[in-house]
Amino acid sequence: MTGNPYHDDRGNKDRSITNPDGMGTTRPVKGGGVAVPVEKGGPFLIGDAMTGGYGMGADILHECTIAVEKGQIAVIVGPNGAGKSTAMKAVFGMLNVRQGSVRLDGEDITALSPQARVAKGMAFVPQTSNIFTSMTVEENLEMGAFLRRDDIRPTMEQVYDLFPILRDKRSQMAGELSGGQRQQVAVGRALMTEPQVLMLDEPTAGVSPIVMDELFDRIIEVARTGISILMVEQNARQALAIADKGYVLVQGANRYTDTGEALLADPDVRKSFLGG
Amino acid sequence: MDFLNAIVAFSNFVLIPATAYGAQLALGALGVTLIYGILRFSNFAHGDTMAFGAMVTILATWGLQGAGVSLGVLPTALLALPVGIAGTALLVLGTDRAIYAFYREQRAKPVVLVIVSMGVMFMMNGLVRFIIGPDDQRFADGARFIVKARDFKEWSGLREGLAIKTSQGITIVAAVLVVILLFWFLNRTRTGKSMRAYSDNEDLALLSGINPERVVMITWIIVAALATVAGVLYGLDKSFKPFTYFQLLLPIFASAIVGGLGSPLGAIVGGFVIAFSEVTITYAWKKVLTYLMPDSLDPSGLVQLLSTDYKFAVSFMILVIVLLFRPTGIFSGRAG
Repeated sequence: MTGNPYHDDRGNKDRSITNPDGMGTTRPVKGGGVAVPVEKGGPFLIGDAMTGGYGMGADILHECTIAVEKGQIAVIVGPNGAGKSTAMKAVFGMLNVRQGSVRLDGEDITALSPQARVAKGMAFVPQTSNIFTSMTVEENLEMGAFLRRDDIRPTMEQVYDLFPILRDKRSQMAGELSGGQRQQVAVGRALMTEPQVLMLDEPTAGVSPIVMDELFDRIIEVARTGISILMVEQNARQALAIADKGYVLVQGANRYTDTGEALLADPDVRKSFLGG
Repeated sequence: MDFLNAIVAFSNFVLIPATAYGAQLALGALGVTLIYGILRFSNFAHGDTMAFGAMVTILATWGLQGAGVSLGVLPTALLALPVGIAGTALLVLGTDRAIYAFYREQRAKPVVLVIVSMGVMFMMNGLVRFIIGPDDQRFADGARFIVKARDFKEWSGLREGLAIKTSQGITIVAAVLVVILLFWFLNRTRTGKSMRAYSDNEDLALLSGINPERVVMITWIIVAALATVAGVLYGLDKSFKPFTYFQLLLPIFASAIVGGLGSPLGAIVGGFVIAFSEVTITYAWKKVLTYLMPDSLDPSGLVQLLSTDYKFAVSFMILVIVLLFRPTGIFSGRAG
C-alpha cells in the first residue's frame, strides 16, 4: 500500500503465529515533545491551518482549521472522504501535521504525543473500536482515568448518573453491549479524565434514531458543565442545530465556517450538504 | 491391594511426572501467550530465552555453592533465581531496544516480527552455547526426594513405591504461586489492566494516556521472569542442556495453541493437556495393567503406544489436530 516492505501482508493471516487484532493503525506524534506557550487569545482549542496525512502518504488535510471555544459545541460536517476524522486525529496528535499548529489554552501543543495531550485535558472518542471489548464496563472507565492518581469514584458516579444503564452493566464485558450502550461506554471512558475538551468522532454512527436523540441530549448536558465539545457528525442537520460553531469540510479544506444556525440557514450549504 | 498398587504405580510414573512437566510447559506457554497477546507475534526465541535464564541461574548457583551458601534441603538454585530473572530481563529488554523496537516503529506486520524472533532465537541459542557450552550441566542440590520409594513401601506395605522428587514438588508449588500472581497482576492492578487494554486496542490505549513503550517493557520483564522460572524448574527436574530447551519450543507452542493463543488460562490448560498426552502415550502400561487385569489377561508386551523417542510427535499431532478442527484453541481469547 505504501511501498513499505514491512507492511507486506503476505503470510500475516496465520493466526497461529500472528495476532493483528487491535493493532495500532496510526503513527502518532512521538513522546518527548514539549508544549510551547504562545500569546493568549483566540479559541480554547484550535487546529490552525493543518496540512498533513497518514505516514508518508499524500496530504489529506490542506490548511484545514477547526476550533472550539470554552464550553461551546463545534461541529464538523462534510461529505464522505472530506477528511473530517483525519482533522480530528490531527488535532489529537494521532498523526503528524506537516504544516500548521495545534494550540490549546495558550500553548502550542503540536509536538506533544497523544498521551501528553490527554494529560493536558483533551479526550477523544474515535468513530470505531472506541471501547475495550474484552474488558468490563467498569474497567473501561478505569482505563479512561489511567493518568489520574486521585480518587476516580466520584467521576465514575457522575458517568453512571449521566448513563444510568452503565451502572447496571458495570461488570459486563463491554463487547457484549448493544451499539448505543457501547457508545455510552466510549463517551464515559473519555469523560473519566475530567477533560476540558471532548472530541467525538461520529458518536451516533450506527445507533437507532431514538438512541441518537438521547446521545445528543447527553452531549448537550456535558457541554453545559463547561466542557468544550468538538464533534464530527453524519447527521448534519441535527448536529448543526445544537452547534455554536459549524465547519463544512470538503476535500480536506474548509468550505464554510459559521455559527450552526447560520449554516443551517445558508441556501448553498442546504443545497450541497443538507439535502435541500 | 492390586487396585491400590495400580493407583500408586500410575501416580508414580504418570500422574506426578506429567503434572510437573505440565506445570513447566504451562509456565513456558504463559510467556508465549503474553507476547502473542500484547506484542502480537509468536516469539520463537522463547525456548532459548528459557535456556538463557536457566544458564544465568546456574552460573549464579555455582557461585553461591562455591561460596558455601546453601538452602539446606531446597536447591540453591532457588536463591539464585532472582539473579537469573534480572539477567534475562536485561537480555530481553536489550533485544527489544536493539531489534524489536525498530520494527514496532515501522509498524511492521506481525509476521515480520515472527521471522525476526527466529533470528533472535539463533542468536540467543549461540550465546548460551558460547557461554556455558552445549553439554549437560547439573546444578541441583539439596534433598533429592520429598517421598522416597522405599520409605513409601515400608509405610504402606504395598509392592509399588511412590517417589516424589523435590524438584517436582517445587515445580508444582512454584507454578501455582506464579500463576496466582500473574492473574492477580493482570486482573487487579492498574498496570496489568493497562496491558490488557493495550492488547485489546492499541489506538484506544494510546487515547487513554497509556504509554505503549511502558506496556511493552513490563511485558518483556514478566516474560523474562516466566521464562527463567520455567527454564530453571525444567533444568532442576531433568537436566540443563541448551539443545533440549530449543526442542521444548514445540510442546510449549503446542500448549499455547491448544489452549488458545493469547489466553493465559488456555496456556495453563494447554500445558497440562500436552504433558499428560505425551506421558500417557509414551508410558509402558504393562505394570499398571498387570495389577488391574485378571491373571489370564496379563499383557505380554509393554503396552507402550509410542517409544519415548517420539514424544515430540505427540505434541506435533495434537498441534495439527487442533489447527485442523479448532484453530482458536480451547479458550479462544486475548490476554486477560
